[in-house]
Amino acid sequence: MSDAESPATTEPTDPTREHETDFDPVSVFDGDETMDLRPGADNCYKCSVCDTACPVAEVDDDFPGPKFQGPEQWRLKRKDGGEIDDSIMSCSNCMRCDDACPSGVPLSQMHNTARGEYVDEQMDKLSREYVRNRILANYGTLARLGSKVPRLTNLVMGNSLVQKINEKVLGIPSERDFPAFASQTFREWWHERGGANVENEDKRIAYFHGCYSNYNTPEVAKALVRVFESFGYEVVVPRQRCSGTPMFANGMLDDAERAAGVNVGEFSDLLEAGYDVVASCTSCSMSLRQEYPELFELSGIEEVAANTYEALEYLRIHEDVRGALDDASVDDQALAYHAPCHARNQGLDRQAVELFRDLDGVLIEDVGDSCSGISGTYGWKEEKYETSMKIGEEMFEHMRDATGEVGMTECPTCSMQMEHGTGYDIKHPLQLLEEALC
Amino acid sequence: MSKRSRVLVIGGGSTGCGIARDLAMRGVDVTLVEKGNLTHGTTGRMHGLLHSGGRYAVSDQASAEECIQENRVLRRIASHCVEMTGGLFVQRPEDADEYFEQKLDGCRECGIPAEVLSAAEAREIEPYLAEDIERAIRVPDGAIDPFRLCVANAADAVEHGARVETHSEVTDVLVEDGEVVGVEVEHAAGSGKYVHGHPGETEKLYADYVVNATGAWAGQIGEMAGVEVAVRPSKGVMTIMNVRQVDTVINRCRPKGDADIVVPHETTCILGTTDEEVEDPEDYPEEGWEVDLMIDTLSELVPILDEARTIRSFWGVRPLYEPPEVGSEDPTDITRDFFLLDHDERDGLPGMASIVGGKLTTYRMMAEQISDHVCEKLGVDAECHTAEEPLPGSEDFSVLREWMDEFGLRSPIGKRSAQRLGSRTDEVLGEWDGPNPTVCECEAVTRAEINDAIDDAGSELNAVRLRTRASMGNCQGAFCCHRMANELSPEYDESVARKALDDLYQERWKGERHALWGEQLSQAMLKHLLHATTMNRDGDPAKTDDRVDFTAFDAGPDGGAAAGDGQQSEDAVADGGITDETNAGEGAADADS
Ligand SMILES: Cc1cc2nc3c(=O)[nH]c(=O)nc-3n(C[C@H](O)[C@H](O)[C@H](O)COP(=O)(O)OP(=O)(O)OC[C@H]3O[C@@H](n4cnc5c(N)ncnc54)[C@H](O)[C@@H]3O)c2cc1C
Ligand code: SF4
Ligand code: SF4
Repeated sequence: MSDAESPATTEPTDPTREHETDFDPVSVFDGDETMDLRPGADNCYKCSVCDTACPVAEVDDDFPGPKFQGPEQWRLKRKDGGEIDDSIMSCSNCMRCDDACPSGVPLSQMHNTARGEYVDEQMDKLSREYVRNRILANYGTLARLGSKVPRLTNLVMGNSLVQKINEKVLGIPSERDFPAFASQTFREWWHERGGANVENEDKRIAYFHGCYSNYNTPEVAKALVRVFESFGYEVVVPRQRCSGTPMFANGMLDDAERAAGVNVGEFSDLLEAGYDVVASCTSCSMSLRQEYPELFELSGIEEVAANTYEALEYLRIHEDVRGALDDASVDDQALAYHAPCHARNQGLDRQAVELFRDLDGVLIEDVGDSCSGISGTYGWKEEKYETSMKIGEEMFEHMRDATGEVGMTECPTCSMQMEHGTGYDIKHPLQLLEEALC
Repeated sequence: MSKRSRVLVIGGGSTGCGIARDLAMRGVDVTLVEKGNLTHGTTGRMHGLLHSGGRYAVSDQASAEECIQENRVLRRIASHCVEMTGGLFVQRPEDADEYFEQKLDGCRECGIPAEVLSAAEAREIEPYLAEDIERAIRVPDGAIDPFRLCVANAADAVEHGARVETHSEVTDVLVEDGEVVGVEVEHAAGSGKYVHGHPGETEKLYADYVVNATGAWAGQIGEMAGVEVAVRPSKGVMTIMNVRQVDTVINRCRPKGDADIVVPHETTCILGTTDEEVEDPEDYPEEGWEVDLMIDTLSELVPILDEARTIRSFWGVRPLYEPPEVGSEDPTDITRDFFLLDHDERDGLPGMASIVGGKLTTYRMMAEQISDHVCEKLGVDAECHTAEEPLPGSEDFSVLREWMDEFGLRSPIGKRSAQRLGSRTDEVLGEWDGPNPTVCECEAVTRAEINDAIDDAGSELNAVRLRTRASMGNCQGAFCCHRMANELSPEYDESVARKALDDLYQERWKGERHALWGEQLSQAMLKHLLHATTMNRDGDPAKTDDRVDFTAFDAGPDGGAAAGDGQQSEDAVADGGITDETNAGEGAADADS
């Protein structure tokens, strides 16, 4: 297991625990208390604003929309279960409805819980759809295996015959290119580097890198380390599992709870030692902040949620980033920036534009508030591919109309979609910061 | 104009409808008259508890035994009106142990299955119960829908040859030669299967026997016949919560008192109630403190109620009766039993009997007794079958699941429809042709179900509401009143639809105004604005006769340059657009922060 290679410098993780069943920990959370969210429907006064914000409802007439999916369906529920409408599987979990609701209805919590119940009780566990979703939801596991032999995996996955088979057997659209695995994972690099270069008792962060920047885009993770170190932070990279985002979206709440158990355990220990949790992916920070406490009861979960930040957000709170950029400059470049839905939910949708538009050499344009349409694993499903591309159309169009031919976003799956729809290279804001400051 | 039948029943509540069905099934020619809609009286304003008898197990064991007996009967014959939720009598620390024991013994003495649960067990069933409860007794209480029950009884009565006339108020009881021979009715406007007269028209209806089943109004009918029926109407408030905080009937385990029960009803919970004598069953004060009392007291049992959203409150009057010689001071001391008053025996006036008191749960038993009495008077020799024959809608029906798929409805919508329609699901949803959108989103009522109710109830949307629950959810009709009215077309013309819409809107407002705080206040405001401004219903020229100045509007898309070119710019960038290379480096056009 590659996680077992974490160096001893990632204090205070107990090295002996590395040899535990990291791959598939025993499920200690099976108490399965299904949450009764009916009282949440009290807040809904049916204005339909959520429906107007839903990207799936916009392009798919068969999708009943968040108002039905959330407060209406929950109000009709009985404690002894009852059917969840299968349209819950068409919700991409973009959480835009959450953000849109003026009345504090816990929409995404309702969708996530209902989806979990639907998958548990109504979905055929032998169906192709279930198997495919389980695989997609557990991308981290897949990636861990694939990245052992990255070149081979990349070769195989890039093979058009294999892609056809994926489509036929698993329902993964052949139009999509599997993201390439890096030849060296971020954790391997971190280990080789010997861990942190800066020690600082007053400024320390625990980095939640998530799966993607570990296996696929280690350059983003490395940029985070360098940028934070340039501001004098001590960085630790504790043992961690998937944030759970793809699992929520696929209703695999047991898998997500197991992963959350590991993450909350590791990170809450670090909080006590004065670390804040920082993520480079907006969905990961969203998950730790909002979905964890909404869906699970784990000791320390509230503290972790309250002390988790997205990287840029954290720096903008604690450092004079703008001041630092005043004197900096980068090679001339024009960027088409897309704010991920989950960034929007955390109020972070303008941070990159606000920060970079005055940076010498940069022209950055916001390509608007539409959803990229991929929503994590959503666009990876054959039956959702078309919907996903229809949703993305507005963003593609605006990207094409923008001056720049390089995209920028905080979210790894949005970046896949941006690349898929335009053929542009996509950058993470941390990479630009690195260029400017390091 | 005059008509004749063997028996004439006054009152279209549970009692009257039950009697009509019973007599019709025995082959007796029966007519039922009701001044409003079916369930216009107390039956339409009750709590919806299918008693197990537990509530009377200490104070009134005869009633308790009747309750458990009829509870079993109704589960069988009215399965589509009943939800067997089970019930709990919950003891709080300040409630006496002694009473708890009495309750338990009482239940056992009356044959009511009763089981003691620890606090933990009770909270496992109902997690929102207060943490400090002591313990509970579980009994087979249930929830019953009085509207569906009455409608099913009336439909079955008609099926067996009865005549049911709504919107027909009895204005006089006809007495000839010292004997009741019929009644005079005045017809009011109405439509649907059960309306036969014309508005304003009066009619004499003759019968061999008249049954006064007017509940709290029985005294008024008595007066018309010149006899005294001393009903003591007693009002009670009920407050409807937006969601079901509990799925089990929750009773407070202590001697009689106000605000001691929560009944899950369809998508809601209903808190109740009070017991206060009033003069006039149709005109009594509805006071805010009564609603506050429900929420304050019942949140001792279910704390989340304190914060929860209420959608409306309503009041009903109990038709309490006690023989004049008893003379209870406090209405709560009056028996919940029912009385059959034979006016021949009692007042020397043959041809009429009154039935007063009782409960909805025992309606069938009351109907059976009075039907026995009527048959005896008329010399009819026929047996009662109402305890065995299921009501229409409650005949056996199998797996709902397959139907839902077949009808192409979303699961919770199909499920709710099937719960309401029972064995008629297939007929109503299956035979519907054309698109079947959801008309009422809160209660999951589709166009097919609305149209079925219109076929039965006519243009009166309040009657459609009672049959389907459309407009009874959290928006209280904000998003569906007008859609319901729309379904009246083309069968009914525009003025009928408009009036039906206004009536429904006003009826909803009547209960809604008792819940105007928090979320329901926002809801009411949104509703008002949607109707008043978006739909312009407060200043609709079609209603106000004002001439519309059409020239004040613009000329529309083809009417010239003023309308704009409506074209989207080809190179729009949502940021406000940097279209010019020379601006590069200046950043986006909009101001920072
Ligand atoms: C607050 C409250 C809560 C209750 N809760 C429960 C409960 O949970 N469970 C239970 O089992 N019971 C309950 N009851 C009791 C139950 O509701 C009544 O006993 C039952 O509904 C009475 O039915 P009814 O047909 O006798 O009277 P009603 O339903 O009042 O019927 C009488 C009908 O006569 C009509 N009428 C009157 N005058 C005339 C006229 N001149 N011409 C033509 N028609 C006329 C009226 O319009 C009315 O429709 C409750 C009662 C109250 C008040
Ligand atoms: S936006 Fe919120 S209040 Fe409005 S309909 Fe949606 S959930 Fe209800
Ligand atoms: S999470 Fe996104 S896709 Fe799902 S209902 Fe809400 S807005 Fe629609």
